[in-house]
Amino acid sequence: MHHVVLERWSRGRSIIHRRDPRAKLATLLVFLVVLATAHHNLVWLSLALLAFLSAAVIAAGLPLAGVLARAGIVLPFSAVFAAVSWLAGDPGRAVALLLKSYLSALAVLVAVSTTPLPALIRGLEMTGAPRFLLMVAQFLYRYLFVISEEAQHMTKAAASRGATARSLAGSRSRFRAAAGALAVLFARSYGRAEDIHRAMLARGFEGSFRTLGALDFRGSDACFAALASLLLILTRVAIERAG
Amino acid sequence: MHIPDGFLATPVWATLDAAALPATGLIVRRAQREFEEARIPLLGVMGAFVFAAQMINFPVGIGTSGHLVGGALLAFTLGPAAASVVMAAILTIQALVFQDGGILALGPNVVNMAIAGVMAGYLPFYLWGGGRWRKLSIFAGGTLSVLVSAILALAELLISGVKMPGAVLGVSLALFVVSGLLEGGITLAVIQALESIQPGFIRKPAAGRSFALGAVSVGAVLLAAVGVLFASAAPDGIERLGRETGIAAHARTLLATPLSGYQVTFLHSTFLHSSWAGKAGAGLAGLALIYIACLAIGRAVARHRSV
Repeated sequence: MHHVVLERWSRGRSIIHRRDPRAKLATLLVFLVVLATAHHNLVWLSLALLAFLSAAVIAAGLPLAGVLARAGIVLPFSAVFAAVSWLAGDPGRAVALLLKSYLSALAVLVAVSTTPLPALIRGLEMTGAPRFLLMVAQFLYRYLFVISEEAQHMTKAAASRGATARSLAGSRSRFRAAAGALAVLFARSYGRAEDIHRAMLARGFEGSFRTLGALDFRGSDACFAALASLLLILTRVAIERAG
Repeated sequence: MHIPDGFLATPVWATLDAAALPATGLIVRRAQREFEEARIPLLGVMGAFVFAAQMINFPVGIGTSGHLVGGALLAFTLGPAAASVVMAAILTIQALVFQDGGILALGPNVVNMAIAGVMAGYLPFYLWGGGRWRKLSIFAGGTLSVLVSAILALAELLISGVKMPGAVLGVSLALFVVSGLLEGGITLAVIQALESIQPGFIRKPAAGRSFALGAVSVGAVLLAAVGVLFASAAPDGIERLGRETGIAAHARTLLATPLSGYQVTFLHSTFLHSSWAGKAGAGLAGLALIYIACLAIGRAVARHRSV
């Protein structure tokens, strides 16, 4: 599964992995803005940014081909819009859509696969994003696997009782069966959430997570963020001047 | 429909990000008031439920199947503010972990799906959920939530300059309507199944609101969505309409003073030299004016009714 691979990648010890999450988030934002606001010489800029990201992937010790392929997740969606733009007589925009969406997804993927998600969310928390929302997101990620597994068990059980056999049941009754399954999943998730809540209260939860080991933003992190951002901005300026 | 990065023009994503930040803060505060902080696990686990729910397929006629989107269902069970928070958390995790939707486009996606979608989905239930029209209101809520967020996303793409031939636009609108109706059907079926398991899950809206008031507000939401779409597909259409019908002559004198031609002139002359910043500022100022006007009318109507 997608996120299992990400979990494995993000536990590395390379020079990129060891940077503070806030430094990586700042660099990611600069990258995304530099790319999103570019209009001239987009192909050359994209090649330069691709080289930048590839260097980061290699420095992080991740499989380059694997990362490049995984970022391709966005391509089917962008390809549809690129095709529509092309048909409408705007081939320049079609190319821009594909390049920009792919490179943005790749940049996010590089940031996420060199930072464990809890650390990334703690980094976000310190930048002033609503803490409540981030805690909900963290819980969501934690129970994603648990609830998804439960849903898979339920679909398997339903299939083994003949739910997919078209001849046995009409479309209407299969629809109602699926709705019933979802309702059961909802009730079970709700019950599980209440159990978790009680267990957390019993262990002294008072409304916020306590973490072991604080993040510290060192000089090397500041250097990394500053140098990488400067490199990105200068690359863009140089390419636009040349064009 | 998750918009990836690179699709929206800079003024569009920047404006919507700027709008999404305080809106999310407000909704989070509201959800915190309804759910004390210690119930965070519930919201997180329900977010995971929405993810998992997409694995359960609903048969739709000829060999195809659809799945739940979930905004309206969450609003009917957890309340609109908490549902918005859960949807925003889902969008954040999707953007970070699954590369489904962009980071710069997170603001637009949150506005479309977590805020506008959930609000539009909750509206019919809020108005008629307690009375005779309960089933219909649940169905309409599911339909509206998907329809409004899809239309907003499409409008944002069109404003950003993504060109679409008329036929493509028609087909995608038809698809939106179909997926909206499907969401309505699934939401209604799941709510009915839930009620037979454990009726306490579904919120109870106040009964006995006037049908006319409700119809007007739902109609306003639909009109606004369709209007946004047409305005973005043909930005000059409204001005042409005005010229042809002769409204323009009157409208100009009325409207030109504060926001002439969507440009805030006094701001423009001082520090907002780029034209898009002026336009975005004028647009936001216009929205704020409309919002304040609606608020004032709402207050006046409420006072009138209570006397």
